[in-house]
Amino acid sequence: MSEQGANTDSGYRLARAIQRIVFSSAGFAPLLFVILLAINIWLNPARFAPTAWGTLLGLAAPLIGAAVASTPAFLGGRGGIDISVGPLMGFVNAVVVLVFIQMLGASSPFVIVPAALLVGVAGGVVNAFLATILRIQPIVATLGTYLVLVGATLTILPAPTGTVPPWLSQLAGTWSILPLGCVLLVWWAICRTPYYDQLMAVGSDDRAAYTAGVPVTKVRFLSFIITGLFSGAAGLMLTALIGSADPAVGPTYTLIAISAVALGGVSLAGGRGSVIGAAIGAIDIFLLQSALTYLNVSTFILQISYGAILVLAIVLTALQDRYMEQRAQRAGS
Amino acid sequence: MKNLSTDQRRALGAFLIAIALHMLGTLLIQGYSSAFSMRAMLVLASLLAIASIGQTLVIILGGIDLSIPFVIGFANVVSAQLYGDGMSFWIVCVIVLALALVIGAFNGLVSGGLNIHPLIVTLGVGTIIQGSVLLWTAGFPSGSAPALLSDFVSIGGSAMGLPVPWLVPCFIVVIAVITVLLVRTPYGRRVYAVGNNPRAAMLALISPLGMWTLTFAISAFFAAVTGILLLGFTGSAYGEVGQPYLFQTIAAVVIGGTALVGGRGSYLGTVAGALVLTELNTLLIGLGLQPSVVQAALGLVIILLVSLYGRDPHVSTRI
Repeated sequence: MSEQGANTDSGYRLARAIQRIVFSSAGFAPLLFVILLAINIWLNPARFAPTAWGTLLGLAAPLIGAAVASTPAFLGGRGGIDISVGPLMGFVNAVVVLVFIQMLGASSPFVIVPAALLVGVAGGVVNAFLATILRIQPIVATLGTYLVLVGATLTILPAPTGTVPPWLSQLAGTWSILPLGCVLLVWWAICRTPYYDQLMAVGSDDRAAYTAGVPVTKVRFLSFIITGLFSGAAGLMLTALIGSADPAVGPTYTLIAISAVALGGVSLAGGRGSVIGAAIGAIDIFLLQSALTYLNVSTFILQISYGAILVLAIVLTALQDRYMEQRAQRAGS
Repeated sequence: MKNLSTDQRRALGAFLIAIALHMLGTLLIQGYSSAFSMRAMLVLASLLAIASIGQTLVIILGGIDLSIPFVIGFANVVSAQLYGDGMSFWIVCVIVLALALVIGAFNGLVSGGLNIHPLIVTLGVGTIIQGSVLLWTAGFPSGSAPALLSDFVSIGGSAMGLPVPWLVPCFIVVIAVITVLLVRTPYGRRVYAVGNNPRAAMLALISPLGMWTLTFAISAFFAAVTGILLLGFTGSAYGEVGQPYLFQTIAAVVIGGTALVGGRGSYLGTVAGALVLTELNTLLIGLGLQPSVVQAALGLVIILLVSLYGRDPHVSTRI
């Protein structure tokens, strides 16, 4: 009996925690998510039927992955940003298909998955070294790796080519929840460690954190590596979705992922926001694209409304913050 | 060297690197210092440096402007279209530049007033502008450049008997104006003050919001100028013409020694940064490298140069 009681209690606490995480830190993204989902289901019930969820999630996965990957670097604050996420995904895609599948003939998930993650981590280590040890401003450091990665990808892979094993394609279809679930699980585990609190402290105020004994450089270093690891996973999701190696796709994810992160209520100045928020922001953008594509509007209108929703959502979030602050002040006085 | 400020030393360093790159190019590639290639590099560097004026001011202010490439494309397409429809070129310029000022002011007003990161505001606004322009032209911009404009930026042009187009002497005047604006006018001092410490600037009766609005407007203005100049340079309109300038303006500013945290930097440094980038690009292409390899090498060199003198202080030194 008491065990069950503890269970419901922890279940309740979990529900409250999820509610808190989703609705207090993700800005207007959850609301937008509900509205856009309703519109999408109303427009195109067949596409959003439960049987199609796997494929649907597989379509959205690379963007969600890219947004999730971009988040840790932002959370570290003081200009923390990784604009090389998109190109790194493209590089992982090229290396996995070209080197591991085509040249080495590997087809086992136990080779390909670690390989993709390792390439991602390697990219993350380079960014981390440049941005935190060498202390080049992160946007410039990752701009450098952005250019290097795009150049390297185009050099080894001038044109789209290759195929992927069936299990990998299924990760963008029936089993698309698996890679995303793993990424979120890893992040959830990270949130349970003291490292997460240190990261948020550094992001809020690195000087205060430093004087409190937080190893600021180490914390930021790790944040870039986590971003790299998740970029590797996102690159794998991209590979699963397109089923080949394509040098042009990866880099397009950078800016849209940053938009998703901002839409999801992550503070670009660091210290505030959640990976869940970023993921919801990414899903919002995907749902918007999906609805507008179904309505057959031109891609130009798609672009305009995407920009407009981004600006609008950010402005509303800022206004909400300001309102909450004023109310807190009034309550205080 | 001793009585130079940090900004001046960094700008000087960037100039020296540009000169070193030029000498390297002359040694390695035949015809690198020929009149034609020098003229081409001067024109390209001038265009990049003009596009980077706004980025410099905005970064000193403590912001960043990602809408520059989109405003460049907007000005490029709209001015070609309107001129092609038979409008007088000067009226076209006034319309395009006025619209650009409005776009920029909106960027500054929203990000400054609501305290939203300018990265995201300028990106969103840029996307809207690009979409609108594409919608207006249905994706196929038409129109043409007036001969006057083409002569002004043409690599083969000449000004006052010099073998450079009018763009180059005009650009030198622009350098002087922007430098004086930053160093000798109240506006310039306020830009540095807000960039250094917005709260302290407010106590000194400077309105950070006003400065943000004005400076982002100036940024969009010069982006539009670049777009119009690029119309003369290429002869026809192209909506994506500004895209290379997205990261290149930031790179030019940073190579020139302006810190992204704001409150420090100089336009002369950015000019040097634009020269370095142009020299580097020409050198690498001249060595016969593939465009993809050039891009990768450019990335490496940016990292290398910035790690030489553009490093941030450690957190322990900022307490």
